[in-house]
Amino acid sequence: MPEPESELSSRQVEHVARLARLGITPEEVTRYRDQLRNILHHIEALNRADTSKVPATAHPLEERNVMREDRREPSLPAEAALRNAPSREDSYFKVKAIQE
Amino acid sequence: MKLYQRTIRDLHQMLVDREISSVELTDAVLSQIDAVGDTTKAYLLVTRELALRQAQAADERLRANRDVRPLTGIPIALKDVLCVRDVVSTAGSKILRGFTPPYSATVVERLEGEGAVFLGKTNCDEFAMGSSNENSGYWPVRNPWSLDRVPGGSSGGSAAAVASGEAIAALGSDTGGSIRQPAALTGIVGLKPTYGRVSRYGLIAFASSLDQIGPMTRDVVDGALLLQAIAGHDPSDSTSSLRPVPDYLATLTDGVKGMRLGVPKEYFVAGMEPAVEQSIRDAIRLLEQQGASIEEVSLPHSDVALPAYYIIAPAEASSNLARYDGTRYGFQAGGGRNLIEEYMLTRQQGFGAEVKRRIMLGTYALSSGYYDAYYLQAQKVRTLIIEDFKQAFKKVDALLGATSPTAAFELGAKTQDPVAMYLNDIITIPANLGNVCGISVPCGLVDGLPIGLQVIAPGFGEAAALRVAYAFEAATQFHKARSPLMGAAA
Repeated sequence: MPEPESELSSRQVEHVARLARLGITPEEVTRYRDQLRNILHHIEALNRADTSKVPATAHPLEERNVMREDRREPSLPAEAALRNAPSREDSYFKVKAIQE
Repeated sequence: MKLYQRTIRDLHQMLVDREISSVELTDAVLSQIDAVGDTTKAYLLVTRELALRQAQAADERLRANRDVRPLTGIPIALKDVLCVRDVVSTAGSKILRGFTPPYSATVVERLEGEGAVFLGKTNCDEFAMGSSNENSGYWPVRNPWSLDRVPGGSSGGSAAAVASGEAIAALGSDTGGSIRQPAALTGIVGLKPTYGRVSRYGLIAFASSLDQIGPMTRDVVDGALLLQAIAGHDPSDSTSSLRPVPDYLATLTDGVKGMRLGVPKEYFVAGMEPAVEQSIRDAIRLLEQQGASIEEVSLPHSDVALPAYYIIAPAEASSNLARYDGTRYGFQAGGGRNLIEEYMLTRQQGFGAEVKRRIMLGTYALSSGYYDAYYLQAQKVRTLIIEDFKQAFKKVDALLGATSPTAAFELGAKTQDPVAMYLNDIITIPANLGNVCGISVPCGLVDGLPIGLQVIAPGFGEAAALRVAYAFEAATQFHKARSPLMGAAA
């Protein structure tokens, strides 16, 4: 059955999951599509607010351009930083090949 | 009264008077964890040896009368989103199973400096995403007042621990109500400070422009004491405020006489339980009798706060959670043929359903073609919500309303319907978006289940919020009610 254009499609869900690097099963595609459609339907209420003359707020901070003196300090030892690594070699994180 | 039923302030006096030692107190709380921990499931990890070691150090400090602080020797629970050096910290997620942070959160270091005792890491919704604790990657927490009910979330483990006597106090984190709502549902006090009041360094991030750490305690005095210990600028968090921290105890007992308190009409939302509304109306009348002047105010954009939040928070979460890729720490699936496939398998197997839902929602809202309609519009609505609060606080000193529209609901009641679950936070979310502070204080029982009065004060107005909450508490007995699991205060 073709899906209405205005609603989130299964293809879009697959695309978003890929962008987010989330593996997803075909059953999950359908389930998340329906759930996200319902959530987005409620989020449409955002358009009730007239924001034509309103600036956006990204964060609520009063401070601007927080600076500090540039000074030398000990950093986290490599061993401590690597302690939780699932795979490592010497003092490196080890990952799968980026290309096969 | 059992030691584990007492408040920080009482126990501090007993410690200073040598009536008890911190080791005795810590033993009493650990015994209560042994007795009811399998029932509440409040903890993901109990740090028994660390607690006893810290208690011994606190006792030495008390004996030598060396820099004794209000929290010296007091057993405290930490929500699992807070990093503690060398102690497993997972944010309630399987993707961080076994992760031992190489450094501690600033709030943790501050409490260590006070000589507090760490009981362990409390359960929470995975990455603090949820309102019932049922999204924990490990197991759900039960409400000590009624075991078939949720404790609220996401700081449900911290709330249940304090309400069951498994901790004297706890730290939680609040992105859209995650301290206040579970505090209300378990009959304790929970305070969300203004963004920037408490350092977020070492807090496992959910939504970085909204997250705040705050106290969860048996009464308002304890809330003030714990906030005092953790508030203030931190060079490691450039979003922490440079504003000086006031002495919260100094004005706590000033009363509400002459204060102007506003009641936002929009906060009596559709779907609010009539008994909750009645309790809130009664609470407002009581504060009026205490000498406050009450007036109705309007926060006209309250109805769009929830949809704005469910764009902004997932958008920030989707980028914050990109770091969990199985490379540097945490779970790695293995078996991927290349790096991208490995990422996808790791995240598929490591994250739970709600976290995946929010990552996808956030990614969608930020994706090309939808950014303006969703993310930018939500950020503009956030400006309108900030303006609503500014206008209201020109007329009144603080705002009053319910914390949650209902008392605790049954486990499983809302797990199939994400939108129904999101509606739990409808009156707590505006304070996060609006950059103000809020406290929930017990204001009654509905069919044996606790509910909370929410007091909202302007940005960096924690002293005013605490003062109003204290005036209410001092005139009522609601905060003295103890859950069946904690036992009657003899």
